[in-house]
Amino acid sequence: MTPILQVRALERRVGETEILRRITLDVMPGEAIGVIGPSGSGKSSLLRCIAGLDPISGGEVLVEGRATRPGDGAIGMVFQQFNLWPHLTARENIALALKLVRRLPKAEADAKADAALAKVGLGSLGARKPAALSGGQQQRVAIARTLAMEPRVLLFDEPTAALDPELTTEVLDVIRALAAGGTTMLVVSHEMGFVASLSSRVVFLDHGVVVQAAPPRAVFGAQAEPRIRSFLKTYLDRVAWAGEG
Amino acid sequence: MIQALSDSLVAAALGLPLTIAIWLAGVAAGLVLGFVVGALRFFAPAALVWPLMVAVEVVRGTPFLVQCFLLYFGGPFIGIDLSPILAGLVALSIYGAAYFSEVFRAGFLAVPPGQLEAARMLGLTRAQAVLRIMLPMMALAVLPALVNLAVILIKETAVLSIITVPELTFRVQGVGSATFAFAETTLVLAIVYWALVEATAWASRAAERRIERRMAA
Repeated sequence: MTPILQVRALERRVGETEILRRITLDVMPGEAIGVIGPSGSGKSSLLRCIAGLDPISGGEVLVEGRATRPGDGAIGMVFQQFNLWPHLTARENIALALKLVRRLPKAEADAKADAALAKVGLGSLGARKPAALSGGQQQRVAIARTLAMEPRVLLFDEPTAALDPELTTEVLDVIRALAAGGTTMLVVSHEMGFVASLSSRVVFLDHGVVVQAAPPRAVFGAQAEPRIRSFLKTYLDRVAWAGEG
Repeated sequence: MIQALSDSLVAAALGLPLTIAIWLAGVAAGLVLGFVVGALRFFAPAALVWPLMVAVEVVRGTPFLVQCFLLYFGGPFIGIDLSPILAGLVALSIYGAAYFSEVFRAGFLAVPPGQLEAARMLGLTRAQAVLRIMLPMMALAVLPALVNLAVILIKETAVLSIITVPELTFRVQGVGSATFAFAETTLVLAIVYWALVEATAWASRAAERRIERRMAA
């Protein structure tokens, strides 16, 4: 089987700073890759470089063997801040690109938008503007907006980082269902339990380098290498009694 | 004194239509020109941006009175020979455009880049993103500032009297010069301008609320 997404020796430098150093990653169709690592390790930069939103200094990104650029339909991106358009309803947010880019007639675009909303469990809220939706609902609309364009690979850049904890679950459930349905995806997240249960492989980034890319059991397991152990420990340390046991 | 007051009121009634006409035309032209300048300053390459910046700063940094003089009395030396009314209209449009352009530029700057990145990832062209995302998003934000500036421009039209545009101030001052009743005529002027500004401010606030409701609903 050939990889659907190939990242080859990808580099990004800003001035003297190396943000990403020769990242190589092959993603098979239907894989869900979790990307974890400390703040500033280059997780979001990796996603933005794959998407083509940030310029790369070296290497290449191929989807189905072809170089991509933003908006060519190969890659879809879901942002931390949702980035819904506030003046449009949920349905219009989804239908706009279907009309302008896919050139669907309005009725067809609206029907497709409603179908995408139903898929994320928001079938009845199409007429609402973003301000009238909860954060979790807004992020689900943003996911539906990206899904409706049927990208080959879906990128999630900290999709629940801007949400209250009780709104996180509904978004994670939607992503989980997509992964189960065979959507190829890369997910940057600090929800370690979610990453562990979702991913076919987990990529641990530190200072712009892939420290490990392996199935979750290997990365989260006891044999994990020291940098990963100390990173995961910061999560455990938040539980006050975790060290007492 | 009663005579001077009633003469002033008659003169005000005669001058008012021209004041309103020049104001409306100046605001309309100023908005169009200001939008173009503001958009260019945001989107155009640097070579075009900084001459525009200098132009805007010169207009904003000099008194409107001086600009009117320069255009009306200096214009003929470089082949721009305008009637008082046309010179007044051009001057008001340029003066308004300089301020409007700053509001539009701030509006463009205020649209979060994430919303445009989302549009880009979904395949919208730059032009589509500007028309369908940027302009509607900034419209609400810039509306109050534009309305405020437009109302302020009403008072600036009084300056046009010094290049003999026969508007409100010019006509009422004419009564003052003829009768030496400067206090009465100036009082009438103040009241008429104040009423005009209050009326337009009130009307524009109502319009603003209607637009906000339509866009935010």
